[in-house]
Amino acid sequence: MRHHEEENEEETMKVKVRFFAQFGELLGTDIIVEPVSGTVLSGLIKEIAQRNKDGYNAIFDEKDTFREFVILMRNGKRVDTIDAVTTKVADDDEIAVFPPVAGG
Amino acid sequence: MLSERERERYKRQILLFGEEGQEKLKKSRIFIAGAGGLGCPISLYLAVAGIGTLTVVDRDVVEQTNLNRQILHYDRDIGKKKTVSAGEKLREINPDIRVNVIDTTIDETNVLRLVGNADGIVDAMDNFPTRYLLNEAAINKKIPLFHGAIRGLYGQATTIIPGKTGCLRCIFPNAPPKEVFPVVGVAPGFIGMVQATEVLKYLLGSGELLANRLFLWDGMRSHGEEIAVTRNPGCMACGTMRKRTRKKP
Ligand SMILES: [Zn+2]
Repeated sequence: MRHHEEENEEETMKVKVRFFAQFGELLGTDIIVEPVSGTVLSGLIKEIAQRNKDGYNAIFDEKDTFREFVILMRNGKRVDTIDAVTTKVADDDEIAVFPPVAGG
Repeated sequence: MLSERERERYKRQILLFGEEGQEKLKKSRIFIAGAGGLGCPISLYLAVAGIGTLTVVDRDVVEQTNLNRQILHYDRDIGKKKTVSAGEKLREINPDIRVNVIDTTIDETNVLRLVGNADGIVDAMDNFPTRYLLNEAAINKKIPLFHGAIRGLYGQATTIIPGKTGCLRCIFPNAPPKEVFPVVGVAPGFIGMVQATEVLKYLLGSGELLANRLFLWDGMRSHGEEIAVTRNPGCMACGTMRKRTRKKP
């Protein structure tokens, strides 16, 4: 029983990842994922971004690290991309990933 | 004092914020950096709203490829300085305001002088390095920076009040790469109107500003939303640990 409950807990973790602007065009705008507990922010976004090569390359560089202009928000709060490798996602999290636009 | 003609000209908005509000606008000086996609609609609407003094800075010449969005420049203006073209139209549309145009490239040696004693800076630029200079000028002079940027049908806007909100560097520590960005005129038109609305509210002291709020617009989906932003204590431009190194933006 206990084992079953634990499994259940893991299954019910839902995280919403929202990609904006070009990121959204390449990867989809609102994506619901069910990560296993312990998943970190950068890992989660990498996994989703791998669905589309251009999408991945828009967000990550050749060293698989976030491009420096990428902005990450978790539940309305800014997360430095450097901290995304250690920040664990939690149930009901809403993650936003967006590129600033620069034109005028 | 408003003239009889001004009272007539602004009658419908005086209904909204009174002659006192209109006087405030008349006494105001706004600096608009850029006479392109954002700068054209912004300066046009601030001119007709009766901002007393508008200063518009641009270094470029009107090109054919500008005409899908830079609505102050007409087909006949191709080859003309954007400042000349913009100045003509703005003075014609409202002869009751003062329009200064400056044909130059904004850089770190002239930005403070160019901004002068303006009450606010409108960011109508097309690149982040110059935006960072405007940001520093706004912090230096303790005046607001009305930020806007676009790409394709997307846009963003926020209002930076030095000392109260995060600055442009707090929100965007690193510039996105330079590119020839796709754009259709309605995007800078839309974002420009958000910025111009912010300018008016700030000058009138009314409403609620986009302070510490980054507005994001997705024109393709007609979806707008905002993201809370905050001041970064370690910010290289406005942080308490402010470094005075003149690092190239
Ligand atoms: Zn700052």
